[in-house]
Amino acid sequence: MQKVKSFLKSWEFFLILLLVVMCAVFKVADSVNVASGVSRKSVFYFANVLRSMRPYFLYSFMTLGMMLILAMGDIDISVGAIGTLSVVTLGVVYNKLAGGAEEGSPMALVAALAVCLLVGALCGALNGFLVTRFKELFPMIITLATQLFFRGFSYLLIGGETLTFKDPTFKSLSNLNQLLKIGELQIPISIPIYLALAVVFYIWLHQTGNGRKIFAIGTNSAATYYSGVRVDRIKFWCFVIAGFMSAVTGIFFVGNSSSSVKADIMDGYHMYAIAAAVLGGFSTDGGKGSVIGATISLVIFGVVKFGLGNIFSFPDSAVNLSVGVILILSVLGPNLLEDAQNRRKVRLRRAETAKLNAAKAA
Amino acid sequence: MQTKKERKPIYSILIEHREIPLLAVLALLLIAVSLRVPGYLGNSWLNVLKNGSINMVLCCGMLCVLLIGSIDISITAILAFAGAVAGKLMGDGAVQSTIVMFLLGIGIGAVIGALNGVLMSYGRVIALIVTLSTSYIVRALIPMDWLLGMNKINPTQLTQAFKDSLINHSFLGLPFLVWLAVLVVVITGVFLKYTRTGRNLYAVGSNAEAAQMRGVPINRIRVLAHTICGATAGLAGIMWLAFYAAIEKGSALGDEMFTIAACVLGGVAVTGGYGKISGVVIGALMIAFIDHAIPQMGIGNSMITEFIKGILLLVAILLNVILQRVAEKQDLARRNI
Repeated sequence: MQKVKSFLKSWEFFLILLLVVMCAVFKVADSVNVASGVSRKSVFYFANVLRSMRPYFLYSFMTLGMMLILAMGDIDISVGAIGTLSVVTLGVVYNKLAGGAEEGSPMALVAALAVCLLVGALCGALNGFLVTRFKELFPMIITLATQLFFRGFSYLLIGGETLTFKDPTFKSLSNLNQLLKIGELQIPISIPIYLALAVVFYIWLHQTGNGRKIFAIGTNSAATYYSGVRVDRIKFWCFVIAGFMSAVTGIFFVGNSSSSVKADIMDGYHMYAIAAAVLGGFSTDGGKGSVIGATISLVIFGVVKFGLGNIFSFPDSAVNLSVGVILILSVLGPNLLEDAQNRRKVRLRRAETAKLNAAKAA
Repeated sequence: MQTKKERKPIYSILIEHREIPLLAVLALLLIAVSLRVPGYLGNSWLNVLKNGSINMVLCCGMLCVLLIGSIDISITAILAFAGAVAGKLMGDGAVQSTIVMFLLGIGIGAVIGALNGVLMSYGRVIALIVTLSTSYIVRALIPMDWLLGMNKINPTQLTQAFKDSLINHSFLGLPFLVWLAVLVVVITGVFLKYTRTGRNLYAVGSNAEAAQMRGVPINRIRVLAHTICGATAGLAGIMWLAFYAAIEKGSALGDEMFTIAACVLGGVAVTGGYGKISGVVIGALMIAFIDHAIPQMGIGNSMITEFIKGILLLVAILLNVILQRVAEKQDLARRNI
C-alpha cells in the first residue's frame, strides 16, 4: 500500500498522467477532424504515432548523457557541438580513407565511425578535465567556451561547405533511419536501441552503488567527497560518457539527414536534451531524476510534436512554443504546490498555537 | 622591509584590475592585425564600433543579470521579438515616430524580462530553465503568420526616418548607433556603482541570504535585474531593426552565447557578485574586433573566426583562474604560511 501511495505521489506518475491526458485530447481532436471531414482518415493511432517517432528520438541518446551530468548538478551545453564535431570528423575521415573512390570499403566506414565515437569521447574528456581541474568555474561557462571551440573546430575542418556522400557504403548509414517491422508495427530502429541503453542506464544509475554515487554528488558534493567517493573521477567519466552519447546521436543524425554533413548541424540540440531531462524530473540543482521519467518525457515531447503538427496542423514554431510552455510549467507547478503546502502547514500551526494560547488564558 | 611590504605584488594588481590583461591581449591582437593588414585600424575602427554596439547594449543587461548570479539566454529571442513586433506595427502604420519605436522596444523587452524575473525569483525556477523556455516561446511567437499574418520585416515596411535614425545621423563623427550604446553603458555604469539599488545587485549576487538579513528585498532586486536585461534586449532589437532594416524569426539566433562570452572575457563572475562595466566594455569590444578583423586577415577559411573566438574565450577564462591561484599562493607565501 505504501508503495502504491508513493508511486501515486511520484513525478513519473504525473508524467504518465500527462501523457494519457494528451493522448486523450489528441484522440478526441482526431475523431472530430475525421467526423467533420477536415481530414480523410484518422492519424492518431498507436502504430502511426510509433512510426512517426523517428525524428523525436534522435536526441534521446544525448538525453541519456545529459541525465548523468544533471544528476551531478552540473550542466553541459556543448553536447550539440560535440555531436557536430564528431560527425564532421566522421565525414572528413571517411573521405580520406575512401579516397574519393566510387564505393568505399566497409572497413573505411567502420574506421571512420570508430574515430567519430572516439572524438565524441575525447571532447567529453576535455570537458571533464576542465570541469574537475578548474572548480572555480561553472561547468556552464566551461562548456559554453568548449561549445564555441568545438563548433569552431568543425568550421576549421570543413568551413561553410556541405559534405555530401553519394557512395553506397556511406549511404548504408541511412539504414539507421529505417523502420523495423514487427508484425503490423513499424518501429524506428533508434527506439529499441535507446530502450536497451536506457535499461543499462537504469540499472547502473538506480540499482548499483556506483550510480547512486552520481546522485550523491549532486545532492552534496563535499559530503560525498568526505565519505570517500572519488568525486572528480566519477565526474570526469560522466562527461566522457555524455560526449560519447553525443557522437552516437550524431551518427543517427547523419543517417537521418540524407548523408550530408555541415558544420552547423545539431545546433541547439543541447537544449532539446536539457528540456527532455528536466521534464523527466532532473534538475540543474542535481541529485534527483530518474531514467524512467526521462524516457516518458521523451515520449511526451514526441507525442506533443506529432499531435500539434499532424492533428492541429500547427507550424513548427507553435510546436516549439508548446515545448517551452510544458517545460516551464513542469518546473513551476511542483514549486507552487510546495509553496501552497508550506503555507497550509504554517496556517495549521498558527491555528493550533492560537488554540493553545486561548486554553491557557482560560 | 617596510617598503617591500607595502608594494603590492603584480599578481594581485592584475587580479584587482582584470581588465589590464584583457587590454594587453586586445593590444596584441590589434598589433597582429595591423601588421597583416596595413592601415587596418585607421580604416575600420568605426565599423568595429558599429558592429559591436548592439552586442554592447546586450552586454549591459547581461551584466546586471550575471551580477545577481542568474543568467538570461532569452535575450536574442527578445531582441528578435521586440524588433519584429515594433516593425510590424510600423509596417501597419500604427507607429510612425522613431522615438516611440525605441520606447516600444524597451517596453516589450522589459515585460518579457520581468516575466523571466518573476518566474525565476518567486517561482523558484532555475534561471537557465526559465530563460530557455521563454526563448522557445518568444521565438515561436515571432512568425505569427498563423496568428497575425506576420512573417518577416522588410525595409519597405519601415519609415525612412527610422532607418536613418541610427546610421545617417552622427555627432562628433560617431553615428547615433554608437552613441546609443555609449549612453546605455554610462547609465548602467552609474546605476551599478553609485545607486543603492545598483549596489544591492552586487549584494544579492555575493550572498543572497546575507543581503536578505540586511533588509534587501532580494526577490524584487532579482526581478529588477531581469527586467533591465529584457529592456536592453528590446532596445537592441530596435537597434538591430534600424541598423539592418530587416528582422526575422532566426535573427541573432545563438548570439546570446557571444554576449555571455563578452561578459566572461570582461571578468564578470558567473557565480554573481563580481563584475565591472569597464571589463564588459572591453570584452564586448574584443568580440566585435575579432568578428571584424579575423576575416580580413585572410587566414584559413572564412569560418575561422568561430574557432578563434572559442579558443580565446577558453584561454581567457582559464588564464583568469590560473592567475587567481598564483596570486593566492603568493599571498600565502608572503605571510609564511
